[in-house]
Amino acid sequence: MSIGTRKPWVRAIVILVGVLAVLAALIGYDRGFREQPQPDWVSATPETRFKYGSIGAEHDAGVPYWIFYVLPRIFPEKLRQDGRIVPGGYAALGVPWELGQELPIGFTKKIIGFPRVANNCAVCHTTSIRATADANPSFIVAGPAHTTNVEAFFRYLIDCAKDPRFNADILMAEINRVTDLDVIDRLLYRFFIIPITKKRLLEREAQFAWIYRPDFPEWGRGRDDAMNLTKYFMIRAPMDDTFGPTDMPSVWNLAKYRWDQGHRMNYAGDSHDAWSVIMDSALGLLGAAPVNRDEFVAQVKWLHGYLGRLPPPTYPFPIDRAQAAAGKPLFVAHCARCHDSELTGRPLPLAEVGTDRGRIDSWNMAAAIKANQVVKEMGLDRRGLVEADPEGYVAAFLDGIWLKAPYLHNGSVPTLRDLLEPAARRPQVFWRGYDVYDQKKVGFVSDGEAAQRVGTRLDTRSRGGGNQGHEFGTQLSAGEKEALLEYLKTL
Amino acid sequence: MNESQTPPVDDPWKRRFIILFVVTVIIPAFVALWLLRRFGEDVPVDHESAVEHFKYGSTGGEHEMGFPYWIWRALPEVCPQYLPGRGYQSLGMVFERNADGSERDVPVGTSRRRYQGIDRVFVNCAVCHTSTVRVAADQPAQIVLGMPAATFNMKGFEEFFFRCAADPKFSKEYILPEIERQGGQLDLLDRLLVYPVAIAIMRDRVLALAGRFDWVFRQHEWGPGRVDTFNSAKVIFNFPMAHLDPREFDAPADFPSIWQQRQRKEPREMQLHWDGNNTTVEERNKSAAFGTGTTPPTIDLARIRRVEDWLLDARPPAFDRFFAIDRQLAARGAALYKQYCAACHGASGSDFSGEHVGRVVPLAEIGTDRRRLDSYTYTLAVNQATLYAGYPWRFTHFQKTHGYANMPLDGLWLRAPYLHNGSVPSLRDLLEPAAKRPPVFHRGNDLYDPVRVGFVSDQPQVDGRPLFRFDTRLPGNANSGHEGRAYGTELTAADKAALVEFLKTF
Repeated sequence: MSIGTRKPWVRAIVILVGVLAVLAALIGYDRGFREQPQPDWVSATPETRFKYGSIGAEHDAGVPYWIFYVLPRIFPEKLRQDGRIVPGGYAALGVPWELGQELPIGFTKKIIGFPRVANNCAVCHTTSIRATADANPSFIVAGPAHTTNVEAFFRYLIDCAKDPRFNADILMAEINRVTDLDVIDRLLYRFFIIPITKKRLLEREAQFAWIYRPDFPEWGRGRDDAMNLTKYFMIRAPMDDTFGPTDMPSVWNLAKYRWDQGHRMNYAGDSHDAWSVIMDSALGLLGAAPVNRDEFVAQVKWLHGYLGRLPPPTYPFPIDRAQAAAGKPLFVAHCARCHDSELTGRPLPLAEVGTDRGRIDSWNMAAAIKANQVVKEMGLDRRGLVEADPEGYVAAFLDGIWLKAPYLHNGSVPTLRDLLEPAARRPQVFWRGYDVYDQKKVGFVSDGEAAQRVGTRLDTRSRGGGNQGHEFGTQLSAGEKEALLEYLKTL
Repeated sequence: MNESQTPPVDDPWKRRFIILFVVTVIIPAFVALWLLRRFGEDVPVDHESAVEHFKYGSTGGEHEMGFPYWIWRALPEVCPQYLPGRGYQSLGMVFERNADGSERDVPVGTSRRRYQGIDRVFVNCAVCHTSTVRVAADQPAQIVLGMPAATFNMKGFEEFFFRCAADPKFSKEYILPEIERQGGQLDLLDRLLVYPVAIAIMRDRVLALAGRFDWVFRQHEWGPGRVDTFNSAKVIFNFPMAHLDPREFDAPADFPSIWQQRQRKEPREMQLHWDGNNTTVEERNKSAAFGTGTTPPTIDLARIRRVEDWLLDARPPAFDRFFAIDRQLAARGAALYKQYCAACHGASGSDFSGEHVGRVVPLAEIGTDRRRLDSYTYTLAVNQATLYAGYPWRFTHFQKTHGYANMPLDGLWLRAPYLHNGSVPSLRDLLEPAAKRPPVFHRGNDLYDPVRVGFVSDQPQVDGRPLFRFDTRLPGNANSGHEGRAYGTELTAADKAALVEFLKTF
């Protein structure tokens, strides 16, 4: 340009501005977007990777680490279950949390410009279990997270964002009490990260409108309204009137599912195979199309391999072998027709089983077609969801059944012993999500002072929570039931 | 045109420029420099010797929690109604004397730091780990560093500040004249600006903290020498205390002694704290430092390190420097000690070897009061693992246990009253079954009883100052447990006397 040649001071200013702009862009990239790998310990073993490894959810669904960190200190009164305030930070949500770990299991920390927290599969698929009230929990990966209150977590973040105290002044004051951010990070947090996070969380409120519906019961610990999550998030369907709470499933030994032999996955058989289920669930955690498709597919592939081969956990308490042997013929006579046969893994007509229909009604063919289309548009390859209206629940494989309490697809029966009673004699109200194991009834302790304090109340008369159906083996004698239970512990 | 052709020597523009430059640059620069010097400092008062540093050195807690020095001085006179007696002395804080015999301006266990233009005072490690001993009623109190602060009433200390800050007299109209009366010669800026602002800020901060410590007011009295350690720790996370399981409350624990830390980490790491919930000395120390007002960004690690280094090999004073020991009787007691006590409590007061030393005994076995154990929850333990996040020394060793840890017994004679909740006044009483231990006694006396080995506990007051009446029937105060044949409570009176005599050598 001729201006440049005529007036050297103009040129100098132009160069200076240019250099500054490049510098600002570099710093902005470094502090705002540059992706850094997680520390080595995270992927040291397949188990640590499953528990703490990022699946890429930090990009869109991630919460900035320091905001995540200070929220329970600023808004402790919003951590609630069954309407009660529960002390304990994020531990109040019942998330499995190992001693010495900075984050609960299923929470991932990754630096993308700045540290962010998101979730992986383990948050819903790790079981906390204690032998007695005077023991620390053990954590069994790929088991159902019967203690995790997913709905309370969703609500918590939104409720915080809705509070006028969710602002840069108050959050920064708390953040400065716990860490020493440099000037650039402070400015970024104050002027970008905090306001943007608030906005993003508030946007979720509309998507999550149905979890605030007063006419629906709370999911409580260990349950989610899985297919409505898919509907409202993946395909952005308008809110309908269905409610289909389900128990968190176990995800071990997935190689047993053979789609070519007619096996279907998800409680109502709505998905073809493990690959599809893992991919769809992971997309749910990402909350958006993957930023890097190849990396995402590699994660799904790893999970598919790991969970495919992961054996079910063996019963950790003593088993009466003679009693179990006596129970085996009872199992063959009364259970095997559905649970150890070519029927296993396939949906059975609802009329045959008679369990609560809420979950079936929450999904339909149109949603399946739409969801398959959405995933296809992301360029992801999978056999996908079954494009048909569901008609019944899958006859479950019983590997590791001892750990999958409470039972039935909606977790409406606390123990296996209760499941062997006719519906009228099963507990009408019990408490979910207390992790002391009941070896006698085979399941978790679901009543009593401690279970009531820690757990969430499930009224089986509430919507989607019916404990009717599956009245099989309920006519056996008490002795036969004991023997059958003992045998079920061996599966 | 003319003007530009003949620039005059004394150009008015040049003069104007100089004036402008001085006004806009030079003067502001000087003002800025002066302000920087006045308000930019962050300088603690340091002490050459490790001992003085322990008594008066900084942990960095003054940054966040420091009370302006002169306010600290003034408050006991501004709010005397919230103290049990005169001055901080009435809370059992220990004051050394100056060369001229007068009391020092601040007690042992407080540090000073100039920060943001104001001298600040807050407590350090020594406030809970220093006390006094008198060998006879008419003898002077001798200060012992590292022993449990048996006379310090921490709950009273907290409540004093919370109540005073909420009092209408907590204002510059009452505080500034008191400062002047005590000889605080504040300069104009301090009087007009710094202290009025500091008073307002301190009031806000203390009241905010008072909200978080509201639960303390609803606890049974801890009395001197005790603190509810881990309910206090829940305040760091702002747990909504009103919603805790009620069984977690009323869990006061005796202050521990803090000598000989090296032997607690080498050759093997012991389970520290009464319930053994941490195995790392440095992590335990940083955790305790929260009690001195530190936060991860403001902790003064270098100065805490000085204290830590000193504590590694600090030793308790020997009993026989204060009272005589019957060596023959003690020798007889040594055999009993070896038989009954050594496996859990170490070979001697200086040799901590023993199979079970520093390890947790399940509650059902030890049978002591369970509240302190129940106050420490798994939920708290995992939350503590978030402390110091982002720093290489993030806490990673807190664990939930289900019993109490076997302590080494260094300086045992100075660690009365006994058991984790200080529910048994003397060693001799501890050798009785719980039913025969004193159900009610008095704590906070520094007069020593060399026969029963413990502080005199049967007098309701000392020098007209009432002592704390400890009722073992209140929640958290049970004196049960550590009893039965294995614990020596079935020995003959003569054997018990011999054993106690031997324990004096620790």
